Amino acid sequence: MADIHSTFQYSTPAHRSGSSLDGMWLFLATEVLFFGALFLAWTVSRHYHAAGFAEAARHTEISLGTINTVLLVTSSLAYAAGLAFIEQGDTRRLLQCLSLTGLLGIAFVCLKLLEWHDDFYEHLFPGSGFALHGPDPGGAQIFFSFYFVGTGLHILHMLAGLGLLAWVILRAWRGAFSSRSHLAVEAVGLYWSFVDVVWLVLYPLIYVVGRPG
Amino acid sequence: MSHALDATAGEIEAATVRDNRDNYLTDEWTVWSWLATTDHKRIALLYFASITFFFFLGGAAAALMRFNLLTPTGAIVSPETYNRLFTLHGVVMVWFFLVPAVPVTIGNFVTPLMIGARDLAFPKVNLLSWYLFITGGAITLWALFMGGLDTGWTLYTPLSSAYAKGYVVPVAVGIFISGFSSIATGLNFIVTIHRLRAPGMTWYRMPVFLWSLYSTSVIYVLATPVLAMTLLLLAFETVFRVGVFDPALGGDPILFQHLFWFYSHPAVYIMILPGLGVVSEIIPVFARKRLFGYKFVVWCSVMIAVISFFVWGHHMFVAGTSIYSAIVFSLLSFMVAVPSAIKVFNWIGTLHKGFIHFDAPMIYALGFVGLFTMGGLTGLFLATLAADVPLHDTYFVVAHFHYIMVGGMVSAFFGGLHYWWPKITGRMYPEMWGRVAAAMIFFGFNLTFFPQFILGYLGMPRRYHSYPPEFQVLNVLSSAGSTILAVAYLMPLFYFAWSLLAGARAPANPWGATGLEWQTPSPPPVQNFTSTPVVTEDPYSYPSPEAIQMEQAETGEARPNG
Amino acid sequence: MMQTLRPLLLVWLALLALLGVELGGAFLRLGHLFGGLLLLPAGAMVALVGLFFMRLRHASGLSRGFALAAMFWLVVLLGLGSMDPMTRTLHPVAMTTYP
Repeated sequence: MADIHSTFQYSTPAHRSGSSLDGMWLFLATEVLFFGALFLAWTVSRHYHAAGFAEAARHTEISLGTINTVLLVTSSLAYAAGLAFIEQGDTRRLLQCLSLTGLLGIAFVCLKLLEWHDDFYEHLFPGSGFALHGPDPGGAQIFFSFYFVGTGLHILHMLAGLGLLAWVILRAWRGAFSSRSHLAVEAVGLYWSFVDVVWLVLYPLIYVVGRPG
Repeated sequence: MSHALDATAGEIEAATVRDNRDNYLTDEWTVWSWLATTDHKRIALLYFASITFFFFLGGAAAALMRFNLLTPTGAIVSPETYNRLFTLHGVVMVWFFLVPAVPVTIGNFVTPLMIGARDLAFPKVNLLSWYLFITGGAITLWALFMGGLDTGWTLYTPLSSAYAKGYVVPVAVGIFISGFSSIATGLNFIVTIHRLRAPGMTWYRMPVFLWSLYSTSVIYVLATPVLAMTLLLLAFETVFRVGVFDPALGGDPILFQHLFWFYSHPAVYIMILPGLGVVSEIIPVFARKRLFGYKFVVWCSVMIAVISFFVWGHHMFVAGTSIYSAIVFSLLSFMVAVPSAIKVFNWIGTLHKGFIHFDAPMIYALGFVGLFTMGGLTGLFLATLAADVPLHDTYFVVAHFHYIMVGGMVSAFFGGLHYWWPKITGRMYPEMWGRVAAAMIFFGFNLTFFPQFILGYLGMPRRYHSYPPEFQVLNVLSSAGSTILAVAYLMPLFYFAWSLLAGARAPANPWGATGLEWQTPSPPPVQNFTSTPVVTEDPYSYPSPEAIQMEQAETGEARPNG
Repeated sequence: MMQTLRPLLLVWLALLALLGVELGGAFLRLGHLFGGLLLLPAGAMVALVGLFFMRLRHASGLSRGFALAAMFWLVVLLGLGSMDPMTRTLHPVAMTTYP
């Protein structure tokens, strides 16, 4: 009953997969606005607190951030390659690519946790005991509020992505995908690359734009 | 139900009605078959039950507030309790009744039927949205009853983050979760309307209701995420005491209002667009006439949805925003009145020379047109910068948006409920009771809220527990109206329940309406249609008034309700 | 197979190059105003990932419409949303203490 219900409104499998990918894109559009609100708050607060933001940005670890960007961009490449392989029906290569994607993703999360650890150690978490006492300590605190909210939400999205990735790998392992039928690979790939895109915007906002100010 | 045109068709249908035992209601009987259903019709009923509960809960809070305002010093509750009451009323009515109201119930039920599909594009997502909704609702209710909240539904900072007595974070979490239910619903509708239309169902052959739902869904998916982030930042600020919004810590409290109203102003249109759609369905049926200016009506829905995103700044004219931004937002706010007014003219054009039948749905719809016009026109006063300064945060504002949301949307919801009730349940409701309730709602509503326009004009601020004695007469009038309104809202609960048990069996098309949903039996089978329908004509293709006159001249029948 | 992988690799190299531009820019003294220019390479990277890795070039018209709508509404949010704070007259009060 339930299984019939989830597919019977479509006329063909292509109709179903096309609709699902459209749905995924629309979901990602909602995510754009979700992070967009954070970016607006960042823009406005930076306008008010140029000095605080500049000082705080100079206390971020740009080396870790840059390595993480490379990891994430590469993981997206690996996923895109995996998708290209399964379109040729090559499940073995798909599994290799997705495993690489997952390893890079896990490495990203580990580095991020390390960075957080350093930040806490240096008392950069906003609140009482905040370490920076420059000309605009309030602004620096707001910067680090964004830093923790932004990276925290991004990590949550990464964890969700890793979960979805594990599910796709498991299904690929069981041979569920073929050159004709691989909707889940494509849909999860969209999500994975989108999480990458979020990071590509967070990276300059956190590490780059404030530093020269 | 003796519409001249459909008497014979109705008799034929009545014969087949008795065989209609195999429908979505009788398909399976277990509780689990309801809680785990992916059938859009059953999910619509789950939503019906949930939002009815929230409607009467929010209504009870409003009734207590009106009771309290009978005397200038406050009749029954303390100021603190009064703050909690209007917060409960606002939070429950906005997020747990008005925002979901029509789309998740009527919209869920009729969208696939109207486009000739078997279900929505993502049935499991649809079920998930209901679970998110009740989870969010439960958390919010728990917080509102255990600790209460005294910030008003707008949760403005720093009141909410630094000074509020109550459970700000749990309420924010509840609203956050229910927001994802909105997103899921909107996403489902948009993809469904794009992808699952039956053969021949072109965009311009779609009923106006679907265009309204589509426009509403655009707001659902693009505005709600901003609210989600805003609530997250608010919770972060409240828990960790950092100052994104708190001016004492270097933050900008107006930034919260910008983010909040980027969602909540479009959400105001979430709360009226589906109502505009319902009324556009009802009026042609009961005027027996093609909808006047179909393309104008549908594109006005889209325009309202788009412009609704450009006007939010008018909530902050007196909050200390930049004068340049205030001018821009004022101009943009006037723009949204244009498509709204066009719609009103289209309804009037449809009624012109129509054969108007005053059945209960039509009475609700006509009431809607009047109240919506009234609410819309008073909105222009508030969009005017200079006029907004004295009127801001007075009862004028309260009356204005209640004319749109209660007079407009709730009337449309009840109208739509009466109109599609036979399709949903397979039973007819008692027509006379329906008409009486509709008339009472119109009367009670005006008595409740019209005095509030005067109160606001005279300067009575909203959200106050007490008031100067010279305002008492108008307040008593308003409270008296609210008792009539309360009785009128309770009536459908009883006669609908009665009709479920003892109402006459409904034929497939009791109103003689066009539209695919009336071509399948009442209640519809699980798969909606026995075979995929093919659409060959425009919506609302009712015969011209001249043709009806000729037919009546031939048969010698008189119109029953004209 | 190499023919499908080659463009992906080229995109990846372009992404790394743009990242290098950002990294270099971080150590130039561009000032508060021009620091914002460093978002341009990020925008290009987002476009590359969207068009190639997420295959927006070959996506359905509807999907592309959703992506465009997201961008449009993001611009509305950022544009109209920052209009007021950027043009507001501020009347500063003495900031006393931070906790």
